[in-house]
Amino acid sequence: MRVLLLIIGSIAAAALLVPSALPWRYDVIDWDHVRAPAMAGSHLLGTDSVGRDLLARILVGTRVTLSVALAAALVALVIGVAWGAIAGWVGGKTDDIMMRIVDALYALPFMFVVIILMVVFGRSILLVFLGIGVVEWLTMARVVRGQVIQLKNRPFVIAAEAAGASSRATLIGHILPNVAGVAIAYLMLTVPQVVMIESFLSFLGLGVQEPMTSLGILVKEGADDMDIAPLGLIAAGGMLVTLLVSLTLAGEKLRDRVGG
Amino acid sequence: MNVYAVDRLSVAIGGESLVEDISFAIAPGACVALVGESGSGKSLTCLTPFGLSVGVATGSAQLGADELCGMDEAVLRPIRARDVGFVFQQPLTALTPHLTVGAQLAEAATQAGGPKPNRAAMATMLEAVGLHQPVERLDQYPHRLSGGQRQRVMIAAAIAHSPRLLVADEPTTALDASLRHEIMDLFDRLRRERGLGILLVSHDLATVRGHADQIIVMRDGHMVEAGPAQNIIAAPQQAYTKDLVAAAPRLDTPRPVLAEPSGHLLFARGVSVQFARPGWRGGRMTAVDGVDLDVATGEAVALVGESGSGKSTLGRAVARLGPCDAGAVSWRGVPMPPRAQMTPTLRRLIQPVFQDPVASLDPRWTVEDTVAEPLKHLMPELDRAERTARVAAALEAVELPSDFANRVPHQLSGGQAQRVAIARALVAEPEMLLLDEATSALDVLVAAQIVALLQRIQRDRGLSILAITHDLPLARLLCHRIAVLEDGQIVEMGEADAIIGNPQHPATQRLVAASRR
Repeated sequence: MRVLLLIIGSIAAAALLVPSALPWRYDVIDWDHVRAPAMAGSHLLGTDSVGRDLLARILVGTRVTLSVALAAALVALVIGVAWGAIAGWVGGKTDDIMMRIVDALYALPFMFVVIILMVVFGRSILLVFLGIGVVEWLTMARVVRGQVIQLKNRPFVIAAEAAGASSRATLIGHILPNVAGVAIAYLMLTVPQVVMIESFLSFLGLGVQEPMTSLGILVKEGADDMDIAPLGLIAAGGMLVTLLVSLTLAGEKLRDRVGG
Repeated sequence: MNVYAVDRLSVAIGGESLVEDISFAIAPGACVALVGESGSGKSLTCLTPFGLSVGVATGSAQLGADELCGMDEAVLRPIRARDVGFVFQQPLTALTPHLTVGAQLAEAATQAGGPKPNRAAMATMLEAVGLHQPVERLDQYPHRLSGGQRQRVMIAAAIAHSPRLLVADEPTTALDASLRHEIMDLFDRLRRERGLGILLVSHDLATVRGHADQIIVMRDGHMVEAGPAQNIIAAPQQAYTKDLVAAAPRLDTPRPVLAEPSGHLLFARGVSVQFARPGWRGGRMTAVDGVDLDVATGEAVALVGESGSGKSTLGRAVARLGPCDAGAVSWRGVPMPPRAQMTPTLRRLIQPVFQDPVASLDPRWTVEDTVAEPLKHLMPELDRAERTARVAAALEAVELPSDFANRVPHQLSGGQAQRVAIARALVAEPEMLLLDEATSALDVLVAAQIVALLQRIQRDRGLSILAITHDLPLARLLCHRIAVLEDGQIVEMGEADAIIGNPQHPATQRLVAASRR
């Protein structure tokens, strides 16, 4: 667990801090070094097909991917916890209706929906955030609802009712804090899913726009050039795989620990 | 020749010695009971030699001619399969849910390499453990059976391969009082008929009394006292055993004098509760069916019945802490509104204490926050200093040291957690306590202390009590009147002494007979 968090932490820190310390910005073209191999000039990993520093681009791409993922996961957390908690707590008809809505949204071919959104409203990072977040909250809502239903019949919740606590006070004081562990574990598991989706959209050319970059775009560019300059694909793909594996493992460990 | 002989057995887990120097022997047809509170090492003592715990056993444990101590799993497994049967506490989880009773019996019978029994043979096995309609039962799944029936199936499976020894770890703890003795009677019969040796583990001397030949009292991994059952119960030598014998409430001890009740307090008429039946077919089942109930000021009334009789549902409906579909409840002549419209003023009047002390406390709240919760909502006019003072007073009233205020539930023992729950119930000065099996999840000695605490509170504060329990001797200690419930109706109600001395309804007679033993 500690090793995983260390890996995730150092990747995030590098993506955040290192690009500004590099001699080349991610979108500046070095006309002297186009498609340069590693260690050419001051380019540690060389440059891409139009002469932009590969290391800077990968780190900035990681930053973009991670922030999209984090923001979308937070959107999912907020909507999912609120929806699930209300459905589980109120119960009865309200619960039925709210959960059928979740089922219906689950049934939508979500990638298709995101692509249509992109096509209709044009490409923007904000839309990528929203589109992904709006779909990713469904699992969170189900998990939270299950937890709330379990908690609702625990004696300490009935004792709170006897103590005169309002529904609101019980939800905020007793239910949500006890759901928090599980919700945060699922948040950790949502992040790699969103990383995956974002990369996929960018790979298709529907994600962020040039010269801004993300891991998905870098993997695509690397794949285009892989027969002459394999380093681009290896570096971007390696970063993506490392992130996905460590985030998923950390999330699963956390989930097992809080017993979700 | 003994069936099973244990000599100077010690058990250690991870190098830490948890059980030391236990010796006993079981002759064919004899029953030895290990009795002690939770954490006394009784389950470790009984399971470790068979390789069923993580502990390491040293010393000697001989099953017939086979030495068990120090053997590895490969040696133990065939011995377990051939010579020993096991029965555990939870009949619900000890049977595999997706296998029919017949399939589980066949599995149990063939584990030692015997032939697969035919249906007639399996029906005979079920008949031997006192199950009616054994042939139909073979095709049923565990969820169709009641707790007592499941435990009988477990026992049938445990003895299907004709073992010499039956190891029963708290076999009756999860069952009703009246079922407990039926199961114990079944053990007695199996000993007589088959010469089966039984090693019984229990936390409760009362259950073991009249059934075990030898009793070994354990505490902190040591034998406190061992000897013939009659001697241990009639003339215990050690102080701990004396406490244990005295702690179990009995019907023949003198009854404490309770304060005289006065004037009507709670008045309930025609209370009914229905639940939606689970599953596709729907429909509703009646849990409480038009019950009338009165409680006077300072009076304690016990709702007694077997599990599923509706006593808990009735108690919660009256206290407006559970669903209530029909009927009227009034408090000093003023009607009580339905659950959703209860005001803080009304909420203050009745405060509950539940069965499971640990689940009664929010695991994330400190003792102080937990006890202060009713004050925050029911007496919002108090300022912080007054609130702290009242919490301290409530903790003192339940005999907890004041430095407990900063603890969280996992730092409390079961008895301490239940004291915190009682402090929370008392802090806003209610007029009635709803005790929902408040002592039945606790060890005998701890339960006795909690009962003494409740008696003192009842005496000092003149509180009314509505006590939900399956335990008649306990009801008798606290309550003026007893109401016996069956199938959601009160079948008999009256003064405690009259109900126990002269029970009229069969349900009451069953309960009294079960607790007289």
